[in-house]
Order: sequence, then structure tokens, then C-alpha cells
Amino acid sequence: MKLPKIRELIEAIKALFTGPYTSKFPGKPHVPHKNFRGQPKYDSSKCVGCLACEEICPAGAISHRDEVTLPVPRRIMIHYTDTCIFCGSCEAYCIANNEGIKLSQDWELSFFDRKKESYETIEKELVLCEICGKVIGCKDHLIWIAERIGELAFSNPTLYQTRLKRFGLVDENLISAARDKSRADRFKILCAPCRRAMTKESEPDSEMV
Amino acid sequence: MAKTIIPIGPFHPLQEEPEYFSLTVEGETVVDVDVELGYNHRGIEKLSESKTYDQVPFVVERICGICSTSHPYAYVKAVEDISGCTIPERAEYIRTIIAEGERIHSHLLWLGLAGHFLGYNTVYMWVWKLREEILDVMEILSGNRNNYAMFKPGGVRRDIREEDIPFVIKKIDSIVKTLDMLKKAILDDPVLHARLKGIGILKREDAIDYSALGPTSRASGVAKDVRKDAPYGAYDKVEWKMIVTEKGDVFDKVVVRVLEVFESISIMKSCLLSLPKGPIDANLADIVPGEGIGVHEAPRGETFHYVRSDGSNRPTRHKVRAPTFMNLPTCKSTVIGAAIADAAIILASIDPCYCCTERLAVCRIDGKRMMNGGELIRLSVEKTEKLKKEMGRR
Ligand code: SF4
Ligand code: SF4
Repeated sequence: MKLPKIRELIEAIKALFTGPYTSKFPGKPHVPHKNFRGQPKYDSSKCVGCLACEEICPAGAISHRDEVTLPVPRRIMIHYTDTCIFCGSCEAYCIANNEGIKLSQDWELSFFDRKKESYETIEKELVLCEICGKVIGCKDHLIWIAERIGELAFSNPTLYQTRLKRFGLVDENLISAARDKSRADRFKILCAPCRRAMTKESEPDSEMV
Repeated sequence: MAKTIIPIGPFHPLQEEPEYFSLTVEGETVVDVDVELGYNHRGIEKLSESKTYDQVPFVVERICGICSTSHPYAYVKAVEDISGCTIPERAEYIRTIIAEGERIHSHLLWLGLAGHFLGYNTVYMWVWKLREEILDVMEILSGNRNNYAMFKPGGVRRDIREEDIPFVIKKIDSIVKTLDMLKKAILDDPVLHARLKGIGILKREDAIDYSALGPTSRASGVAKDVRKDAPYGAYDKVEWKMIVTEKGDVFDKVVVRVLEVFESISIMKSCLLSLPKGPIDANLADIVPGEGIGVHEAPRGETFHYVRSDGSNRPTRHKVRAPTFMNLPTCKSTVIGAAIADAAIILASIDPCYCCTERLAVCRIDGKRMMNGGELIRLSVEKTEKLKKEMGRR
């Protein structure tokens, strides 16, 4: 009966000297271990706006909004902090070498107004179809594809034109005035349905096939 | 003597989850017990049918906040059963390490709560302080204290970094020392002996009849452990022994859990020390049509998952059975005959997880309760009759 009590007494005295295991938060800031999975953060210089992270996110914490009426059309990538479960799927499946979105060490995520403060956004420039005005994809994404497939990109005007624009080799404001469908339109930046229509209708013999 | 019914729940200040026990008592003795669940049905199985195979682990991870690796483990095993792929050895080891870390923290959590139930808050504080250290270890290994997000069909998502291993092993060793003191303090405390010995006895035959699982069955002398019976992961590659005791009372359940923590620590340590090199992901291709089952020995007993695939990228059916589903009915044999004061700890001794167990919603149709076992069978029989008639008419 006595021995156990002494054993526990020793532990109690030890605890007196080692102090509490808990830290003095918020007086003393908490620094998480570097492996800690905190809030994912976008890097707008690396992200290409491909939406793979939105597709893979199991919690539906990522969404986007396409602003096509702006002078420079933009895609707004939105990450909802309050919905995120910090699983890291977005980073793991990010096509931009897992660098477009990265889990950070940030864990102090409380906010006062859920509607206004519970999300973070980045903006990516969009490329629109020159004929119908629909969204083709983000400029950086098209460049990313063009670079990945190398010279094959020259078989697709949408890809190589977007890439050339970056080097200033194509006049950004040059939009053909003629709205008729012509063979020349096939060398424009087009969305897939317009390209199909263009190829079919501009073909003189298409009726005969 | 007049019978009185004592309701426990559905909102009980002590038990974390909503459940309702009605204890029928005569004087001080419990003569009957009834359990009612269904306050927290979350539709997990349906939800997982709307997710891709890769996303489901995150859903099932949230079935239980404590065994947040057991459900993904059983699920990925079920998916791997369908596709018949082999998992890289390093991934198997990492899975085992995470699963054992979870067992340690889960058993410690229960031990602390048991102390709290008994009015031994010192046990509660000390054990939970210790648990804090193991949670820190898990944060280093997986990136989070809980919800480790490590499992994916075909492997694991994150690797264990070599430079973390020495620190983790040092930490585990320091935990063992404190735990050893704690074990002795708990296991030879005379008051705990008086409170726990000989109460809530689950006899060996009853454990078999109720198909009790995990520590609940092992405390009653039924040597049942998926890790030994059908080894998976790295469980057959490292040395460890199954803890089995004979008496089946609450004290034996404490003993089994406390000793299992030591086993888990030794499994974790030997896995960390002999972690093979290599890939961590088998990069599973498309899931072929078929069905598969996966079982994992969760801290509370065997977790069972069934997954059916039609070849698309989402499961068409996903069935989950948590261990508490099997363990809870044993209260019929343990609580009846006990004193009211002991009822709380006896009910808690199976380490229940009610929310994880809830799979079927009880509906009220015309103010009448539907969907108990008998009624389901009646509905099923009626449907067959109806179909028979319809088809006969055509
Ligand atoms: S961490 Fe997970 S939940 Fe959060 S945004 Fe990324 S994929 Fe979605
Ligand atoms: S590049 Fe990465 S972060 Fe950007 S949208 Fe694609 S997957 Fe998301």
C-alpha cells in the first residue's frame, strides 16, 4: 500500500518541476512541427488555373468563378478555409509540380464573419474563344500544355497562338473584323466546338462528303 | 419491489455521444437494460457512393474521430481486394505504424475516460497528458494529431521521413517509461481493484455468443484478433503477442488495454526500425467491376467494410460495420445484475462508439415506429408478395 503511493508521489513531484505539458497559448505563440498540415495556399505565379484541385478536393473546398466581362477576363480560384479538411489532395494532384497550391503551416484560421473572411482567392488570366466568347482555359494552362507537348502544339493554333502571345509575337488586340466563317478563322484561338464547326463549315467540299 | 426505469441519455453530460439507455432497476440492482440509437445517423454509406475511390478514405476517416485510421484501413483493403493488387512493402509498414499509433492514443483515451467515470481524475489527467505526447508523434509522422489522411487505395499518401525516425523513437521510449509507472499505479491500486474486479463480467460463452470483438472478447478469454488470425500489413513481420485474460470483468478489460498499449508501442518501434525502402504507392489503375471486403483490427475490435464496384470510378455500394455494433449488445449480459453505480463504467467498458455504429435510420410512419429487425423482414416479405402478384398478372 505504501510503495505505490511513493511511486506516485515521485511522479507528482517530477511534474511539479517539469511544469505543464500544455503551452501558454495565446501568450506564447504555438509553432507547429514542419510536417504539420495547415491551410493550403495558392501561389498565383505557379498555379496555372487548371481546376484539377477543384475536381479532386474531397470536401468541395475549392471552387472558381470566371469573370468574362472584364477587359482582361479572369478566373478567380477560391479556397474556402472553413470547408477545407487539410487533407493535402490538392497539393498532391496539382499539375504545376505540386506547387500551385501548397499546404502551409497556418493553423490560426478563426474569423468573425464567415461570409466575408472564410476564403482566399487568386486570379488567373482567361483565354476566351474568339468566335463565341466561351472560356477555353487559363492562359497559363494553355501555355503549360503547349510546353508539355512540345512541337505537337503547332498542330493546335489555340495552343501555339497563346504561347506566342506571351512573347509579344502576336498583336494582342488583333481580332478579325470579319465575322464570316472562313478558313483563316481556323488559325484563331478557338474553343473546341467552334473549332469543329470551323473545320467542317469552311471546308468547300463538306456538303459533298 | 417496484421497478423503476432510469434513463441515461440521449443527452448525457458524461458520454460524448447521443445514445439512450433505459435501465430497469429494482432497488439498487439493474434488472433489465435497453439501448436506443439513431440520434446521429449521418448517411456515411450513401455519401461515400457519391465520392470517387480516392476521396472515400476522407469520408470514412470521419466516421470516428478516434479510430480515424481504422475505417480507411478497412476500406482500402476492400478496394484492394477488388482489384487484387499488391501493396509496396514500405506502404504496409507505414500503414501498420499509423494504425498502432492510433491504437495507443485510443486506448489511452479510454483509460483516461474510465478514470474520469470512476472519479479518479488524476488517472484522467496523467493518461491524457501522456496521450498528448503520442498525438505529437502522430503529428510528426502524418501531419496531424488526428484524421491522418495517410491511406489511399494502393498505398499511402505521405512517406515517413528518415530524419524524423530517431526523434520519434526517442519520444516513444520516453512514453514507455511514464506509461510503465502509470501501469503499475493503475493495476495495483486497491481502490480500483475494489471498484472494477468482479463487476460487469462477460463470460467466455457469452462473448462467443454475442460475437464480441477486440479487447472486449480478449478480456473474456476469447483469443480473437484480425492482426493474428489473418495477418496483413506488417503484423506478421514483427514480434508481438496477443493479450488475452480470462475473467472478463471490467478490470480485465483495463488490463488488456493497458498491456496492448505496450505491444502497440513495440510494434510501432520495430516497424520504424526495420522500415524497408521503396515506393509507397502501387498506383492503382481503374477499379474493375466486382466486390471486396476489408477487415482491420481497430482499437475496439474488428472493423468491416464491404465495397462493390461496377467499373466506374465511384463505389456503387459501401457497407460499414463498426466494432461497437457487435460489442454493444453484450451489455445485456454484463449490466443486468449489477448495481446502478457500476452501470456507467460497465457500459463504458466496451469502449463504445455509438455514432460510428449508426447505420440505419428509424422512421416513423403514421406515428408508428418502423424498421426494427422484424419489421424489415415483414417489409421484405411483403415486397416479394407484391412482385409475385404483379408478375403473375402480367
Ligand atoms: S487540403 Fe483537401 S480539403 Fe483542403 S482544399 Fe486541398 S483537397 Fe480540398
Ligand atoms: S495548377 Fe494546381 S493549384 Fe492551380 S488550378 Fe491546377 S491543380 Fe489547382
